[in-house]
Amino acid sequence: MPQLKESVLDALKTEESRRAFLAKFASAVFAGLVAPAVAGEVAPVQAAAAEQSGLTDEFDATQLPEAVEGEHPIKRMMADLRRALQKPMEQRRWGMVIDLRKCTGCNGCNVACITENKLPPGVTYRPVMTETHGTYPNVARRFIPRPCMQCDNPPCTPVCPVNATWKRSDGIVVVDYDKCIGCRYCITACPYAARSFDSGYFYGDFEGGERQPYELLPSPEYGENRVRAEEGSPIGNVRKCHFCIHRIERGELPACTLSCMGRATYFGDLNDSKSLVSELIGQPNVMRLREEMGTEPKVFYLV
Amino acid sequence: MTSLKNIKVARRDFLKAAGASAGGIAALATLGSGFRPIDAAAQATLSQQGTRIAYTACVMCPAECSLAVKVENGVASAIYGNPHAPLNSGVVCAKGASGLQMVYNANRIKYPMIRVGARGEGKFKRVSWEEALDYIGEKLIKIKQQHGAESVIMDAGDVTDRDPYYYLFRAFGTPHTVEHGAICDTPRRHGPKLMFGGKRVEPDIMRPVLVRQPDGSLKNDYRYRTRLIVYAGWNPFTATRIVYESRGTVEAKLAGARLIVIDPAFSNTATKADQWIPIRPGTDPDLFAAVLRYILENHSDDDPFRRYIDWSFLQYSQGWEEFEAAFRSWWNKKDPINGLNYFSLEWAAERTGIEAEVIAELAHTFGITKPAAWVWGMNGIGHHYNGYTAAIIGTALNVITGNMETPGGAIDTELVKSDKGGKVKGDDFNKRDVTRVVNGKTVTGKQEELHMDLFGKWCAAWDDAVGDYPSRFLEGVELKYGPFRGHKYPIKAFIIRTGNPVITGSNTDAWIEALTAKDGDDYRVDLVVYIDTPFLETGLYADVILPEASYLERMSLSDIYPSHQLIYLRDFVLEKMYESKTQYDIAMALAHKLHEKGDSDIKPEDHWEKYPTEEDFWNEALKVAPGRTHCGYPLPYPQYPVNYKLLGTPDSLEEGSVTIDDEKKVIQGEPVTVQWLRTHHGVAVWPMSWGRFDNGGVLKTDSKKVDFVWDYTVEKDGEKQRKGGYAKYNKLIEAAGEPTPGLQELDWEKYPTTFYWFETLWNPYTNPDFARYKDEYPFQVISGRIHHAMSGTQMVDWLGRIPTEDLWMPLNDDRTVEEVIIGPDGPTPTGRKVYIPQQTWSIGVIQMNRADGEKLGLKTGDLVEMETPLGHKTSGKVYLVETIHPGVLRLPFGGGGRFSPGLGKTYDFRDVTPNANAIVDPDHHSPIMGSPIYGDMIVKVRKV
Repeated sequence: MPQLKESVLDALKTEESRRAFLAKFASAVFAGLVAPAVAGEVAPVQAAAAEQSGLTDEFDATQLPEAVEGEHPIKRMMADLRRALQKPMEQRRWGMVIDLRKCTGCNGCNVACITENKLPPGVTYRPVMTETHGTYPNVARRFIPRPCMQCDNPPCTPVCPVNATWKRSDGIVVVDYDKCIGCRYCITACPYAARSFDSGYFYGDFEGGERQPYELLPSPEYGENRVRAEEGSPIGNVRKCHFCIHRIERGELPACTLSCMGRATYFGDLNDSKSLVSELIGQPNVMRLREEMGTEPKVFYLV
Repeated sequence: MTSLKNIKVARRDFLKAAGASAGGIAALATLGSGFRPIDAAAQATLSQQGTRIAYTACVMCPAECSLAVKVENGVASAIYGNPHAPLNSGVVCAKGASGLQMVYNANRIKYPMIRVGARGEGKFKRVSWEEALDYIGEKLIKIKQQHGAESVIMDAGDVTDRDPYYYLFRAFGTPHTVEHGAICDTPRRHGPKLMFGGKRVEPDIMRPVLVRQPDGSLKNDYRYRTRLIVYAGWNPFTATRIVYESRGTVEAKLAGARLIVIDPAFSNTATKADQWIPIRPGTDPDLFAAVLRYILENHSDDDPFRRYIDWSFLQYSQGWEEFEAAFRSWWNKKDPINGLNYFSLEWAAERTGIEAEVIAELAHTFGITKPAAWVWGMNGIGHHYNGYTAAIIGTALNVITGNMETPGGAIDTELVKSDKGGKVKGDDFNKRDVTRVVNGKTVTGKQEELHMDLFGKWCAAWDDAVGDYPSRFLEGVELKYGPFRGHKYPIKAFIIRTGNPVITGSNTDAWIEALTAKDGDDYRVDLVVYIDTPFLETGLYADVILPEASYLERMSLSDIYPSHQLIYLRDFVLEKMYESKTQYDIAMALAHKLHEKGDSDIKPEDHWEKYPTEEDFWNEALKVAPGRTHCGYPLPYPQYPVNYKLLGTPDSLEEGSVTIDDEKKVIQGEPVTVQWLRTHHGVAVWPMSWGRFDNGGVLKTDSKKVDFVWDYTVEKDGEKQRKGGYAKYNKLIEAAGEPTPGLQELDWEKYPTTFYWFETLWNPYTNPDFARYKDEYPFQVISGRIHHAMSGTQMVDWLGRIPTEDLWMPLNDDRTVEEVIIGPDGPTPTGRKVYIPQQTWSIGVIQMNRADGEKLGLKTGDLVEMETPLGHKTSGKVYLVETIHPGVLRLPFGGGGRFSPGLGKTYDFRDVTPNANAIVDPDHHSPIMGSPIYGDMIVKVRKV
């Protein structure tokens, strides 16, 4: 399959870094003014990926039978996604909605994410937290998948001393593994514990000592196809959920959204009023984590 | 491009033919046609560079979802659900997604091995396939000559791709071709089997379903119509056995359904319930019976608020009057344990620990809410001595309330799934006449009539059942029924494939004793063969170990309990690794070997000449698909007659490329083939309909009705015939003049003709015989099926890091272990020391109510020992929570005490994790079908 020639980071690196730099020195209030003031970002507009030859699509929804009413949620979200990709990047605002009423606590999303992004031991982007309350027989338990919140005001980016992490114009907070020096300030700054440090372990270290074939495959993260090797990035870097940018930019949904056993995870463009995610966040039972901190997360929960 | 590819393939084939490559190819050269190379086109796909998506089916658990696997340069890189299979509709669970770590696990069995130490010692040496098959072939032929082929058991595991083994061993001459289900949860399946000819009642919540529209088109229907689901002892979110019940349950709830979960533990499914009803273990039949009594006593045809019963069920059922009378006959009897009238609310409250008002409300809610489904489960009902009674009443509840086969109601999924297998199941071999000398007389009968249980200890066993292996291994078999009555034979060979009965098939010590018992210097069971991908405990007791290709390297078919017919392909995704072989490879090579060594029952024309390629074999298995009766509404194919059998691809049936045989009532389209499936995302889907019990429809009982009576007489052509689910067995019993040991335990002469009742064992709250244990053994022990920690997948690192449902929790202590992995010669120390920091690894724990634990002065993480009245013990760490009924301990099934080094970290913590089967009663089996009573035991607890 044709890989994207350059990193999806590259196209925006200069612009984004500048903006991140500005944001870092701005007050919280000022940052809000700075962001929209940055103009002229040029996004690599992708054609709707399904039509591009050679792309692999795990969810070839186009050939599903027609629905009596409504349609397969994945089909709907893929249409939303591909519509969003027709717009310039800065006009998209990727968001995720997780319906906690439907999360069965299976952790399918967690493992699907690990395999998709080739995450090593100790690094997870989407753990599923469990909260249990009450006394027998009056007990309640809730499962809360916790990806990166992709905050509009991310507390993690301003603390980076080397501008290795920033918010893209489509709202996704990314990390440049080449720049990251592994100081982990961002891990401390994130109120959601959504960042983790790659300490350099391989699964083979815990079983037999030899690396497994799947750990030697390049990680598709950021379209960079990095092969994680001893001493090389992203070992020694901070890593985080990026909504599977490499997938969404070729018209595919994030790994977690595809796999979800309860069909509890939704993804799409919040700037598109016709998208499924926009519809869902208009419901009265929507909430976000730590709203009071003013981080403006782009992950919404239905409760 | 094309020509280049062809050249590459040609060269590869040349190398293979020349035997120039290493490993498996060398074996090929010496075996002649024993192993066949995969065909060139398939090989070209497997070795293709770049990225591709392959459609196949999972076997990380027996839900066997359809998958879309991403393969990069020949390496599986990620696993997703296949959206074209409505069963999972694109979803994949944690376990399915983590399949890479099973396929590429360091602890995979890589080469054939032969034991060099004692059984259980774990000492093996690597051998060639030739040597391994020679060893097995010679032993099998010797055993057959000395004792008869019936002395051989082929237990081919839970997954549905066992057919090559069934086919071979039935041809070899043994009726003992077995699947794991026989020792799993048969009591739970009994009601549907007896009353419908089915097996599993599940809610109508598989979505989408493909439905014929009024305009003639076929469309996917995503709508949920269910108003109420009751799950009793059934935890689909964690067990994931019926995969659509995860998304289906939560979606149905959002669409307005109410969810009630009855379970001693607050399961993951219970977290989404509108009501969780904790129940005392083993009292499900009591609750079910009280609900049925309430419905019968309070039903009113005139009051719309109490119109529970939908009498239309009488049109498609028979024997309700007898059933009801037998049920009512208990109402005036007093239960010796509490002096209360059977099945009354007060009686049930006393026994189940659920308040009478709650039971009444449950009964009313189920009676009045439609459509609804009353569903019971595996560990909950299937693991108890008396699970049969719950399964029968549960089935009746769904029928009389009019919920069977209504949109949004309940479906017996066994009756509506696609047929598959056909000739390659080898049934025809089982019908052959065989001759044996019994007590000096020469007797002729069918091969199947030599079955050790069906004509021995449990003649009403179903599904190729073999119960209580260990005592058969030790004592041998004496047939009690049928033409071979009095025939005695020992069990001399046990071949186990994808199963691990030492840990999961009743009492572990009993299994070990049976597999290691000796007569002089020889083991009593002369040959034990273990065939699998992972190396589990049973492998430690094997003489020969054969590496079977993982599910991404082999082919077969799948379809697990859908709401209508669909079938999907398990396809070659990766090249076979190490020297592993597919089940077809192994069966055919062993057939060759037996033939070569002079076994006249193995004829080339039945085996490799008949099915020269793997695809031929599975194409034969597909010929019978979908094979179901064309019935229900909306009618799947309005252009075809009703109640005819449908065969062929969905395309051909849709287009009308069919021949219709009015005599045999068959609509024959173009047969489904492997190739057809490959060009259709690996899946064939036929349309859904409801009302499939009308006019017989899909029912498989003798009467083609729902049977409330199970041994009855009909007159046909002036002749009286015995019919019904128990008639066959009762005839055997009458002819022999001797009931089965199970019936004798119940003081029954025969199988009952309609409703029956008996108490479970070891339950001090319901069975007076055990009341005396109440104080000394205050805890009932049950198990939970923990999806992340099933018997055969605990070596998967990703799953070891994910806690699950208070049973699989990160309570590991800090330790450095000497690493052992499965090498070419079996378990081998690597010399590496691996450090595992505390609380980083999920291990099997004992779930205990917090108040109970505090009374005993325990805190979470304390190591305790459990001991049964029979003196069996196991120990583990307690996990004190509010999420379980007081007086109940729950253990993960197969989740602890794991002593095979093939289990990775689970092995490393074997000393602090509980083995649920260490404490199972080895001497009692559920009396109707002989499955172990995993869920009926009581213990006392002591801090270690």
